[in-house]
Amino acid sequence: MRRRILLLLFVFGLASPLFGQDMSNIQIHGFATQALLYSGSNNYLGMYTSQGSTGWTEAAINIVDQPSDNLRIGIQLHYIRLGIFGGDEPSIDWAMGDYRVKRWLGIRAGKVKIRWGLYNDTQDADPGYMWALLPESIYSIDDRATTLSQLGGELYGDLPLSKRWGSIVYSLYFGDYYYSSSDGLTEGFKEAGINFANTPGGKTPGVDLRWKTPLKGLLVGASTQRVDARGTLTNGTFRIAPYYSTTGYAQYDAHKFFLAYQYARTIAHQDVEITGQPPALSVSDARTWFVMAGYHLTDKLEVGAYYSSELDAAPHDNSDPANFGHDWTISSRYDFNSYLYGKLEGHFINGNVSGFYDFDNPNGLKPRTNLLVAKVGFVF
Amino acid sequence: MKKSIMVALFFCLFLGCSVAKSQEVIVIANKSVKSSGVSASDLKDVYSGDKTSLSDGSHVVPATLKGGPVHEAFLKKYVGKGDAAFRAGWRSLVFAGSASMPKTFDSESALIEYVAATPGAIGYVGKDPGDTVRKLAVK
Repeated sequence: MRRRILLLLFVFGLASPLFGQDMSNIQIHGFATQALLYSGSNNYLGMYTSQGSTGWTEAAINIVDQPSDNLRIGIQLHYIRLGIFGGDEPSIDWAMGDYRVKRWLGIRAGKVKIRWGLYNDTQDADPGYMWALLPESIYSIDDRATTLSQLGGELYGDLPLSKRWGSIVYSLYFGDYYYSSSDGLTEGFKEAGINFANTPGGKTPGVDLRWKTPLKGLLVGASTQRVDARGTLTNGTFRIAPYYSTTGYAQYDAHKFFLAYQYARTIAHQDVEITGQPPALSVSDARTWFVMAGYHLTDKLEVGAYYSSELDAAPHDNSDPANFGHDWTISSRYDFNSYLYGKLEGHFINGNVSGFYDFDNPNGLKPRTNLLVAKVGFVF
Repeated sequence: MKKSIMVALFFCLFLGCSVAKSQEVIVIANKSVKSSGVSASDLKDVYSGDKTSLSDGSHVVPATLKGGPVHEAFLKKYVGKGDAAFRAGWRSLVFAGSASMPKTFDSESALIEYVAATPGAIGYVGKDPGDTVRKLAVK
């Protein structure tokens, strides 16, 4: 993998002079973040947070060339270490060509970020938002390596309606996706006794439609994504029957204030066939939502709060903390200058449905977790 | 009576300070941009990364200053954000692969030079830019 990335960068670097490319249109941007997490009880997100953990480090670098007004070509490498997840090697976050034919039609192809809901395509761009952690109910940081992007193509555009009706922004995509071999999704399966010989993958067509309403700053939208996965286990086969992950959302962002809401529901049927055993069929019915708000107290200081809820309704037991998660969060971000910022955030979590693992909670889980996250970020 | 005079003086001083602080902002464009004006809505959309063309179809490329009173006044008046929020919004797009960061300049003269030389470029300055660029009226 490392050799492929280096080869790609080398070829990209060679390509420009070969075609007599003007280097003045090449942009390079990057960021690096380091977090400190402390939880009063339970260890969270694959880290020993109850002892204080600096196990969350991220960095990214992208190189983009814009040979003409309509064409952009670029690549972004991303590194994440989140406790036991991530790893020592960077991965390709996206690598694509982007040709904008008209305002209402653009084409992207390559490894392309998936536009689903408010923040799927931007969730790993830490400098772009206030929160240290996005709502785990919908944007699980320990699962996102699997859900961020797809290998394929996207049609996108902005269709103006009229001054009275605003415009519709759309994204239609189709491609392949694969489970990450080093994120929380795979760890969760491993803890359930499901060990992959080859990480599952499948096709993922999807659509996102968002209405930029005539009220400046108000956006309303919905996305749906068809997901299926097939893989091989060390001792059998694995399949998730095709399902639709659907979400609706709204956001108001004006001047110093923003308010956002998102709801998602995903019903998945999982079929695990282990050699010599009857098929194990299971169903999950994840109902998740959050509401959040933020305000710039000054140009440099932003504060906010969110409430996030997650329920797996399939077991029909809403009282078991293993089936739900409620997270009250207060947050702040301070931009010291254009290149350096800090985030400080507190989470008050009730329930254990997401983000908790057996390997670092061997004595079981308490129902409530209070978590403090402090993060520093450098960006250029 | 003394109290009224004091209050009146206070408001005069306050208004005087407000007027003194008000920074002029002139929106400029490369002469390839046909229009002599731009709507405030289009200007906000271009500088927020939501649009790459004006309502008349002209493709535009935004340029910004790195900082300073003209930059702050432009953002406050036409984008509705402070510098930190403005940069965070663009960085969200850049790191998602959806856009390229606007070209940024340390000085107004460098920005004027870029806008004059780049088809479709638009920018903003605090003083008369001369006749190498077109001034756009913001409607």
